[in-house]
Amino acid sequence: MIRLEDVSVTYPGGVEALRGIDLTIGDGEFVVIVGLSGAGKSTLLRVLNGLVPATSGSVVVDGTEVVGASAATLRQVRSRIGMIFQTFNLVNRTSVLNNVLMGRLSVVPAWRSTLGLWPAEDREAAMAALERVGIVDKAYVRASNLSGGQQQRVGIARALAQEPGLMLADEPVAALDPVTSRQVMGDLQKINRELGITTLVNLHFLDLAKEYGRRLIGLRDGEMIFDGDIADVDDDTFRDIYGRSITDEDLLAMGDSPTDGSEGG
Amino acid sequence: MTPTPGQSTRPERPRLRARTVGIAAALMAFSVFAAREVGFDPSTFWEVWSNPLWEKFWPIPWDWVFDSGNVLQPFVETFQIATISTILGCGLALPVSFAMSSLTTPNRPTYLVSRAVMNVVRAVPDLFWAKLMVTAIGIGAFAGAWALTIFSLAVMVKLFSETVDGADPGPLEAARAAGGRHAPSLRTGILPTVFPDYVAHALYVFELNVRASVVLGLVGAGGIGRVLEAQRQFFRFDRVLGMLVIIFVVVWVIEQVSVSLRKRLI
Repeated sequence: MIRLEDVSVTYPGGVEALRGIDLTIGDGEFVVIVGLSGAGKSTLLRVLNGLVPATSGSVVVDGTEVVGASAATLRQVRSRIGMIFQTFNLVNRTSVLNNVLMGRLSVVPAWRSTLGLWPAEDREAAMAALERVGIVDKAYVRASNLSGGQQQRVGIARALAQEPGLMLADEPVAALDPVTSRQVMGDLQKINRELGITTLVNLHFLDLAKEYGRRLIGLRDGEMIFDGDIADVDDDTFRDIYGRSITDEDLLAMGDSPTDGSEGG
Repeated sequence: MTPTPGQSTRPERPRLRARTVGIAAALMAFSVFAAREVGFDPSTFWEVWSNPLWEKFWPIPWDWVFDSGNVLQPFVETFQIATISTILGCGLALPVSFAMSSLTTPNRPTYLVSRAVMNVVRAVPDLFWAKLMVTAIGIGAFAGAWALTIFSLAVMVKLFSETVDGADPGPLEAARAAGGRHAPSLRTGILPTVFPDYVAHALYVFELNVRASVVLGLVGAGGIGRVLEAQRQFFRFDRVLGMLVIIFVVVWVIEQVSVSLRKRLI
């Protein structure tokens, strides 16, 4: 359970990334967040795990207040939150397994992970996570030798290795081609359904949002413009969020759908 | 698309700017002024070369040079000084470099203090460190090893902290998002990406150390430099030349090995 109350973020330099966000997300939900770049999508995800500190307001994740929390409390909260990144954020010069083991950092004693002496049960957890995303055969391959889609799966496996209750995906398919994008979104959906992990996904492709989301949140200039069931979303909603009509560029399947407006769900 | 005539004309070649000419002229004027001030005169060049001292350099007494006690043993000592100080200095440089980079520093005070300390350490020349150590702990290889450790630390931190500054911050963000503590996050998120550069820099520092430990011997810090200085004081320049040949060959070989290793690493 996540509860945000009047959350605002102002970056040093004066940019207001979020303004007065009130939001409640229940366990097991699959929420898609859309908005133009700079609307505050990434910031919204990062205030949840404290990577970006909220300037004001309250962020409560599973009963723990994140705003103003101590370093130890933050690590505790983060250990239960998996995160997936647009550019994967993998260590290219090491093996897939070592990358996934980073998901075990919060439970392995510091001296063991620093020396690279990972306990057997943590290696097992990492392998199991790789099995779930279907690339366990690549465990000892260098991360840089994988394709983009495979790299993002390693990213998902790293997050799964945390055995998280919440998954934050920051534009997980922005660097991928349409076919791979759908596979990765499918993976996230499957994880949400089978493991019951609450999932928040930032997207900027509208058709993907409609295809995979159940609940949609629309951000514009740091403010929440829309929050509701994906079935209630119509073209006017998107126009409100984007400040203009939908064009082909807002759709992943470019050219497959009619231009402006009539893309339906 | 073919370019529409008239729309895209080729730009004119930029003219040499007056400022560039001005700076060049100023530099030349200063060079001439500096040469006058220090009393530089091209004729002194020939004076140096016509000095009868040069005749003392020949022939090289190879028997003496290859007698193991004369050159080989001090050279091994030089090598040992260079090795131990490279290991110590570069080992210390690893945490210091992480402390000094804004990306990886644990907190702001550590960042500021480590930067300030390293600036002071770098400002002191290595020969002065050697003199200081010889004074503090006595003549010998031990003083040389200490001086070179500090020298290695200073050079390595300069090279490696720039590598750390330029490292991809993404994996570190991922490690922190997973709830990792500071040191393990650096170890898993940053170290693997910068480690090949670290080893390459360490090899380069070793190269520098072999050369520097020759020089440090001159001030009494052990190694081949001590023998070099002793023979110079006895005016045995033929032996000095023999040693210089050996030093040249060894340094050259180390450099070749190190360069080829570094190429493979990066």
